[in-house]
Amino acid sequence: MTLGDATMILVACVLLYLAIWKKFEPLLLLPIGFGCLLANLPLSMMASTDSGGLLNFFYQGVKHEILPPLVFLGVGALTDFGPLLANPSTLLLGAAAQIGVYTTLVGAVFLGFNLQEASAIGIIGGADGPTSIFIASKLAPHLLAPIAVAAYSYMSLVPLIQPPIMRWLTTAEERKIKMEQLKPISQTVKIIFPVVVTIVCCLMLPGVTPLLGMLMLGNLFRESGVTARLHETAETHLINIVTILLALAVGSSMTADSFLRLETIKIIILGLLAFCMATAGGVIFAKIMSKFSGGKINPLIGSAGVSAVPMAARVSQKVGAEEDQSNFLLMHAMGPNVAGVIGSAVAAGVFISLFGDPTVVSNHAEISTNVISTISALSK
Amino acid sequence: MDPIVTTSLTVSLIAISVIFTVLVVLIYTIKLLVHLLPYEEPPASKPTRATSQNSLVNTVTPEIISVITSVMATHLKKSPQEFHITQIRPK
Repeated sequence: MTLGDATMILVACVLLYLAIWKKFEPLLLLPIGFGCLLANLPLSMMASTDSGGLLNFFYQGVKHEILPPLVFLGVGALTDFGPLLANPSTLLLGAAAQIGVYTTLVGAVFLGFNLQEASAIGIIGGADGPTSIFIASKLAPHLLAPIAVAAYSYMSLVPLIQPPIMRWLTTAEERKIKMEQLKPISQTVKIIFPVVVTIVCCLMLPGVTPLLGMLMLGNLFRESGVTARLHETAETHLINIVTILLALAVGSSMTADSFLRLETIKIIILGLLAFCMATAGGVIFAKIMSKFSGGKINPLIGSAGVSAVPMAARVSQKVGAEEDQSNFLLMHAMGPNVAGVIGSAVAAGVFISLFGDPTVVSNHAEISTNVISTISALSK
Repeated sequence: MDPIVTTSLTVSLIAISVIFTVLVVLIYTIKLLVHLLPYEEPPASKPTRATSQNSLVNTVTPEIISVITSVMATHLKKSPQEFHITQIRPK
């Protein structure tokens, strides 16, 4: 056993401790930690790079981008887009929170990462684990382990990271704003919505199709009312099984040579920056919307534009209730929260369109190459 | 400024513009959908539950309440004066 192996076993134990005793995203950090432990036991042949090993087979699901879209299928089956449909302008908050992704991208480039790596790091700001894994496996597979660990660790810390930023950027008066009750939405709209989103978004950004397509299929299972068995499977057994495989595969990629590097520390710092900027972006944009709407929007719901569903919406509710116990923001915050899921998937689609594998998205890659060439020419 | 930093800034601006464009298109699509297919109140259901509750009110006599009170008092190890049954709902 090398010193690196021993250190990684210690890291695995820390992850297990955080998952079991501190309850930090236990559904993910526990299997990630155990996968890391297995991968670093000498001669176990359990690392993602050990061809023929068990976890190497699981890792193929990440490498070939199968598992993250399947998680999205389950997320779609679990998600109610009703609050978003009742107040569609909250989609803008889902877009505004992606500012965290792009400020981190620039920060990562400053710290010496190339554009593909910086994009994969920036997407941590989307606060969406499967999207982070999807983009990292596509654009920077060598950084998959630290990106996944940073994304899930910070997602579990949303209740600690967001409230100080929310309080700092809003006044007590703004936090007390009560929002109007949401209008009910017809079931037909709920059924048509996933089909329309798939057509609109996937035509505009083909790179987003695997993630958004599966998200919307899961939601159609839920809303159509004719696929109760598929809906139940997607929202329970399937998502649980896929989560186990995905987390073990990510854990198996946490070997000493891929994790114990200076880049990991940089990614951990950039991940925190991404979450803070995403929260700030959402709150500031919600303040602007509040001003334009004549004070009808509580800026606290802006922080829910990051897609940590439903934790970010709960944080909005909690901070609002601290100011006024009778203020119920939860349902209003669910709108930007699910918009954040769509927003981060769209952000991922943009990166794939710009930097993705040209053999996969050949036509689009050609366009992207032209765009990059034009940008490079302009910058010169 | 380093060209890669300039490129990253340009990419960020383009990407955020694309995201806002896509989501604004979605907003108007949703508004159109909601406008074309407005929510309609479901037809009033037959008052079966109300009837059953009324029948329950009729069948819950003071004797039954006193029996329930004494059983609850024994179970909770409290005096019957220490609590008050306010509602009995059918299962």
